[in-house]
Amino acid sequence: MKKLLFLTLYFVIMSSFKTFAQDELSIRVTPPSLSLEIGEKATLNAIVVDQNGREQPDRKVLFYAGRQSRKAITIDSTGQVTALKGGNYQVILISPDTSGKRIRQYYPVLVKDAPIAKVELLDVPEKIYAGTTSRIIIKVFDAAGFERTNVDLNIKTDNESVAKLDKYGNLTALKPGSTTLRVEVEGIEGSSSLKIVKNPAVKLELASDMDAARTGDVFHFKARLLDKNGKEVTDAPVKFAFHGESDNPEYTASGVIKQDGRFVADVPGLYTVIATSGANSAMKSVEISQRNVSRKIEVIGHGSVSDKHTSDFWIWQGKDGKDYGVTGTWGADGTAYFWDVTDPANIFKIDSVQVDARTVNDVKVSEDGNICIISREGASNRKNGIIIIDCKNPADVKIVSTFTENLTGGVHNLFIDKGYVYALSAGRKYYIIDIKDPANPFIVSDFELETPGHSIHDVWIEDGIAYSSNWADGIQLVDIGNGIAGGSPKNPVQFASYAYPSGANHASFPYNSSTGKFYVVGGDEKFPYGLDPEGDKPSRAAGFLHFIDFSELNKPEEVARFEIPMAGSHNYWIDGDILYAAFYNGGVRVVDISGELLGDLYKQGREIAWIIPEDPRGFVKNAPFTWGAQLHKGHIFYSDWNSGLWSAKLEPVKPKNTKLQSR
Amino acid sequence: MKGILVSFLLLLFCQYAHSQEYYVYVTAESEDEVSLIKFDGVKTNIIENKAVGVWPAEIEGPHGITVDPSGKFWYLSLAHGNPYGTLYKFKTGSNEYVAKVELGLFPASMEISKATGLLYCVNFNLHGDMVPSSVSVVDPEEMIEIDRITTGVMPHGSRISPDGLYQYSVGMMSGELFEIDALGMKVSRKLILDEEKGMDHGQMDHSQMDHSKMDHSKMNHGMKGMNHSKTKPTWVMPHPDGKRAYVAGNGSNEILEIDLTTWTVSSRWPCEKGPYNIDVSPDGNLLVVSYKTAGKTGIWDLTSNEQVAVIKNSNKVTHGVAISSDSKYAFVSVEGIGGDPGAMDVVDLTKNEIVTTAYLGKQAGGIAFWKVEK
Repeated sequence: MKKLLFLTLYFVIMSSFKTFAQDELSIRVTPPSLSLEIGEKATLNAIVVDQNGREQPDRKVLFYAGRQSRKAITIDSTGQVTALKGGNYQVILISPDTSGKRIRQYYPVLVKDAPIAKVELLDVPEKIYAGTTSRIIIKVFDAAGFERTNVDLNIKTDNESVAKLDKYGNLTALKPGSTTLRVEVEGIEGSSSLKIVKNPAVKLELASDMDAARTGDVFHFKARLLDKNGKEVTDAPVKFAFHGESDNPEYTASGVIKQDGRFVADVPGLYTVIATSGANSAMKSVEISQRNVSRKIEVIGHGSVSDKHTSDFWIWQGKDGKDYGVTGTWGADGTAYFWDVTDPANIFKIDSVQVDARTVNDVKVSEDGNICIISREGASNRKNGIIIIDCKNPADVKIVSTFTENLTGGVHNLFIDKGYVYALSAGRKYYIIDIKDPANPFIVSDFELETPGHSIHDVWIEDGIAYSSNWADGIQLVDIGNGIAGGSPKNPVQFASYAYPSGANHASFPYNSSTGKFYVVGGDEKFPYGLDPEGDKPSRAAGFLHFIDFSELNKPEEVARFEIPMAGSHNYWIDGDILYAAFYNGGVRVVDISGELLGDLYKQGREIAWIIPEDPRGFVKNAPFTWGAQLHKGHIFYSDWNSGLWSAKLEPVKPKNTKLQSR
Repeated sequence: MKGILVSFLLLLFCQYAHSQEYYVYVTAESEDEVSLIKFDGVKTNIIENKAVGVWPAEIEGPHGITVDPSGKFWYLSLAHGNPYGTLYKFKTGSNEYVAKVELGLFPASMEISKATGLLYCVNFNLHGDMVPSSVSVVDPEEMIEIDRITTGVMPHGSRISPDGLYQYSVGMMSGELFEIDALGMKVSRKLILDEEKGMDHGQMDHSQMDHSKMDHSKMNHGMKGMNHSKTKPTWVMPHPDGKRAYVAGNGSNEILEIDLTTWTVSSRWPCEKGPYNIDVSPDGNLLVVSYKTAGKTGIWDLTSNEQVAVIKNSNKVTHGVAISSDSKYAFVSVEGIGGDPGAMDVVDLTKNEIVTTAYLGKQAGGIAFWKVEK
């Protein structure tokens, strides 16, 4: 009996093990490991087996490349792997099962780097003067065409007493003679013959257009190399550098020197610019004083909106000569408010419209004050589009028409210019809509980039040019009637652009400087600090304003920035040589942008004033989040996400060094 | 005495019934918020309103939501981006962020196959040109998009067959039903849903057309000129028996029964205005449909194929439907208009009436049933 019991138990246990063993399925891949050359193909054979190695013919296997592997290897449904780029990668294998007992495994693939095929030496001067230093660019490519940076460079010249090169590409010519520069990587060499000639220069002169200036003023240094006969040597490289001593030990001297001789200082002090070319050098000191542009600013009035978020706004002079404003609302009930701002100390609501939307993100008014346009997002029928409003009497505004064609995805921003509306569509393009008859608007054209994954955030019109902000595609300048490129509203023609590396271009505003330079100010929008999960704490932005010198349209140069620590740019306005910029949690910043621009404008003390709209009765209390700013008849108007519409005034510029005489 | 006993038993039954707790996730598309709601059989309790997205001053539009078959994670599509939308992964319960991956234009509804473990999300491209869009196939463990399968114009309503081997979606503007082989990641069958064929956007190669150069001002996009699908399907839901599926004909105001064996429209049931989302009870007996335009919820008996109840929702613009795993309750999201709060109506499927309503962020839309527990 005991024996029978034992046998029964034995069979029960063993059969359980057997069942367990059958359930322990895995994917068996042949070959068991894979190492490929770039361009090589191999086919994986994957089957599902049990613990005893028995194939499960009813189980299928799906292959795909894992994370970090997708642009380096491809794998098709038959298991064929193609190696594209060197590195260690993974193939993921899945065997599905309708009962949920899915098998998932990872399979490693090594793709060997292709052998080095080419070493290129770029920017090698044809004639090199002894004693000078030039920058050489070294590029290494493998047989697959990839540029390789993970390689060791063996650098030498055939005669190190004539010239030598460091690993950063700095070529120092030591004495006249000939030699060959050689850079070798894994047996492949790039070379360039060097001819070093006697340096005819015996003297270096350094001059500048100013001897003293304020922080932020741009100097132009000019270096002249002269030979022993006093003749200028124009083809020898000159390097510029500077050192400085701050007037105040609490601050460190800093600034920017460009290799074309432009120099700007950030803090007051004595700065010395040094030019060198071989053994010749020259220096010149300049005195920098405080820019001293700060002025008092005071809040004049406040039109409170405390039950919902406020978005963009526009201030204009009405047909009756009085001054009015319109503000949008955000994430709310589709309301736009109209205000009387004639007395900036007494801003009050005079009318409103409510449309089927959650957000009226943007509002604009025509030049003649007759038509207001507002954008819609979050319409219940998902048609969104724009609303055209008769605002001849801002105290009794009337909706004239609703236009949704091709704008169903939501209109985030818009502009009105000479009877046309420029309305963004679903963040992809802008449509140009003829609203000369406001009751019967119609599309006349559109502007859309063709780059992969293009998008757009804003468009601004001035002097017949549309300045659109296109995130990674940057600032786009489009002729819609200026004539510079033969464009018109019916035929918009792009003629210039500039994209900066961060890809955060959110707004653009043109600035014709009194210096004659033409800048476009590109603003970021960034929120790297995320959201408050509860939604009731102040938000914090990042990003800054980029100043792009478009004086040469085909060669735009990013020259300066304005950045506020721990705050981020949004919308802004330029009047004369003053910038009025909303910086979300940083409030409104008033900035002197007169003169040529270079470097860090904030550090240069160009900020004239700032004002932060803190409101204890705001939608989110004491949480400034300023949306935009506009100068109108000497007052700064600004809208704030949490508190509504505000006005402020800068104190007038006072004559410097003038004492008031009492009578 | 007998009455007391019956009352006692009834009380006991009610206590038992009410001791069940149901958990549901609902998105608020114009609030950038997802709510986790508990329903105890009588009332709802919002456990958390979670802010989603990263841009405080931009609406990112949480649209589609699903809970994975294990119940450990929930997935959310944020429709708007620059320009592409994003799929987010969170832990259920703690609602802790896990990972994200960028998908196509306006990613919307999605579901995970229990067979492959992969997530299939339609790229609705709601506001783009009328060109065929796609279904993104995502590995939710790695959060990588492993394939993008071209389907119809404005694909919507991604749902998986009970065995996990097929994904179904509809092309809203091309009027097509697509079946994707979930393992092979290819369209295995396509069905035209319109009775009379209009302009077949699914057959047109819009990629070769320059829509930007069309003079839209001369076209009547109000549908008189260009003929989009009359059916305008917005959702498809397979039946648990694997033999049938049901399509919401949002444009034709009908529910279409699809025979998955013969791959034909086997029946068309006229219904209220604007059927939008559909769910079928896990026991296979009931179909619940949101009537978006009418602001109502319909309950259909799938044994008689008759509509047994039409319930007016708590506000306008009814959106999504999710039925509890015990087939007792339907949770229905309601968008509202403008500044209205969004809502979730709880419908008792034994009484065909709304039990309670939870008020949520604006434009409540995507809805996913998580779990029921005692």
